[in-house]
Amino acid sequence: MRYIFISLIAILMLASSSFASYREAFEKEFLFKSWGGEETEVNACIDCHSSDIMKKEFQNVTQAWKKSWHYQNSVLCDDCHGGDSKDATMSMSHQRGFIGTPKYTEVPEFCGKCHIGILRNYLESGHGKALQTTGKGPNCVTCHDSHNIQKANIEIINEGRCTKCHTYERAKIMKQALFATENKIRDIDKELENLKAEGIYVGNEKRELFSTQAEFRALFHTIDADLVIQRTDDFTQKLNIIDTKINNSFTELNFRKNFSAFLTLIFVGLSIVVLMFSKTYKD
Amino acid sequence: MWQKIKDGFEERAGLQSLIRTKLKDYKVPGGINIFYTLGIVAVIAYVIQALTGYFLLIYYIPHPDHAFKSVQDIMNVAPFGWLPRTLHIVVSNLMVIVIILHLISIFVMLSYKKPRELTWIAGVCLFFITLVFCLSGYLLPWSQRSFWATTIVTNIPTAFPVIGDYVANILRGGDNISGATLSRFFALHVAFLPPIFLLITGFHMFLVRRLELSTPPFSTSAEKSPERYPFYPHFFLKQVFMIMVFFSLVFFMITFMPTFFLPEAANTPADPLKTPFNIKPEWYFLAPYQLFKIIPNKFFGISLQVLLALIFLLWPYLDTKEEKNILKRPLLIIFFILALTVWFSLTLWGRHS
Repeated sequence: MRYIFISLIAILMLASSSFASYREAFEKEFLFKSWGGEETEVNACIDCHSSDIMKKEFQNVTQAWKKSWHYQNSVLCDDCHGGDSKDATMSMSHQRGFIGTPKYTEVPEFCGKCHIGILRNYLESGHGKALQTTGKGPNCVTCHDSHNIQKANIEIINEGRCTKCHTYERAKIMKQALFATENKIRDIDKELENLKAEGIYVGNEKRELFSTQAEFRALFHTIDADLVIQRTDDFTQKLNIIDTKINNSFTELNFRKNFSAFLTLIFVGLSIVVLMFSKTYKD
Repeated sequence: MWQKIKDGFEERAGLQSLIRTKLKDYKVPGGINIFYTLGIVAVIAYVIQALTGYFLLIYYIPHPDHAFKSVQDIMNVAPFGWLPRTLHIVVSNLMVIVIILHLISIFVMLSYKKPRELTWIAGVCLFFITLVFCLSGYLLPWSQRSFWATTIVTNIPTAFPVIGDYVANILRGGDNISGATLSRFFALHVAFLPPIFLLITGFHMFLVRRLELSTPPFSTSAEKSPERYPFYPHFFLKQVFMIMVFFSLVFFMITFMPTFFLPEAANTPADPLKTPFNIKPEWYFLAPYQLFKIIPNKFFGISLQVLLALIFLLWPYLDTKEEKNILKRPLLIIFFILALTVWFSLTLWGRHS
């Protein structure tokens, strides 16, 4: 038997080393072949913008994007700027839909390709009208930045940012109108994360929350505080429905915990009984 | 009336004599320890897997569009559906631990020695089949973890020259993980593996019964007086005790660590276009996975793994010395500790690499 094994080892080692040494193509194939979990996507935009041939201000673009909310949600360069990130030679080809950097007045249309509802409300707002008529009103990047775009929250409305263009009075009224609903959205989001950590799938609730939040924030872009106050009840109602579902899930989780804790106690008890019973038999 | 029914049944089935001959007259060696009960604990774990599996089958839909949702429905919509699913997950992992401990104890007590070589081989085959059960099982929820861990594992056969891609294609039903892979793994998990498994388990248990339990090598009392005790109640109660301890552990984990074997990626629907960061196979595949990663030549890597598996399987025929006390075999102790350390190190390395 030992001899069979030694022969087997010799055959396998010989076959491995002969393949490894003499067949370069084969060697390359297996040496460099990527494995499922280690695959890295080719992205010509990032490769080029991270390299030294790029100007300093363009190099920072990828760094800023990697810290953004877009990055966390897999929104890539070509999703906004067009082109083909998988093909370096055609990455900036207009045939592949490359747009490049939009002009200042084109930014709302540029972002509005995805944020459709927000674009509509923005264009009807004082901000949008100012941009369309004078070309100098605030656009999306004025408040949200261009590449380092963070998850939007109520803190975006602050004295420092708003007073760059006008007084803070109206913005403050708007912030107060948004406050309760925004807080409720934040709390529900946190609870959904807690539920997820407990192993409950919350994809559907997350989607519901996201769509309610998107609708609410789109409304905010009208910068009409009266309209926001008027519609707040509708949103609160929608959020309450999600909240009820979350509470039900937590109640269910507690029941499961208690139920399995009860079964744990039963089996621990049975173990003790069996152990004591076996001791009497030994005697 | 009740006595009449009992007597009538006894007259026809002869249960009393069956219990007497199979439980009371069947003798086990004195001084056997709780490690001897790990086999029956593993069998009970399989029974739990089969029973909970039947319940899961009622609601599970093996289709990429419905698999994830059907599993979520089992967890959150079906009454008490969470119980069989959580049991299935926790027991599958604990079962692998029990089998590993069982194999370790058999190795340390050198119980695989003649005439028990075939019992060892059947046991190792059962361990391998268990791993295939686990592999085929964790694709079924069609989560991110399922999808990408299976991608990694089904890539492994491609390291074989000439037939590698062909084998991988047979496993996946195409070039990539798809609905065809799900169907194949589902069929493997619920239809192909169970009868093979039952057959080998039957053979394993037949041999255990036929050759009887081995005498513990460390027990001095057994050496002095090779006394034998009836299986019932002497050993039977030990087994029941360990089964109760196993159940306690299972429910303890479900109560206090419900997500221990269920990371976030297992709770996210599969997305073939989005490779998650740091996706890893299950813990029991981490050592071979890490070994593949550190050996640059994949064919050499897989050759080595096949060889190691063969050595493991046919170990009783390689270790031909007659000494049955491991304490008198220092070289074997060193080999055993070294093998275990390498396995632990590779697993930890794979987990944190």
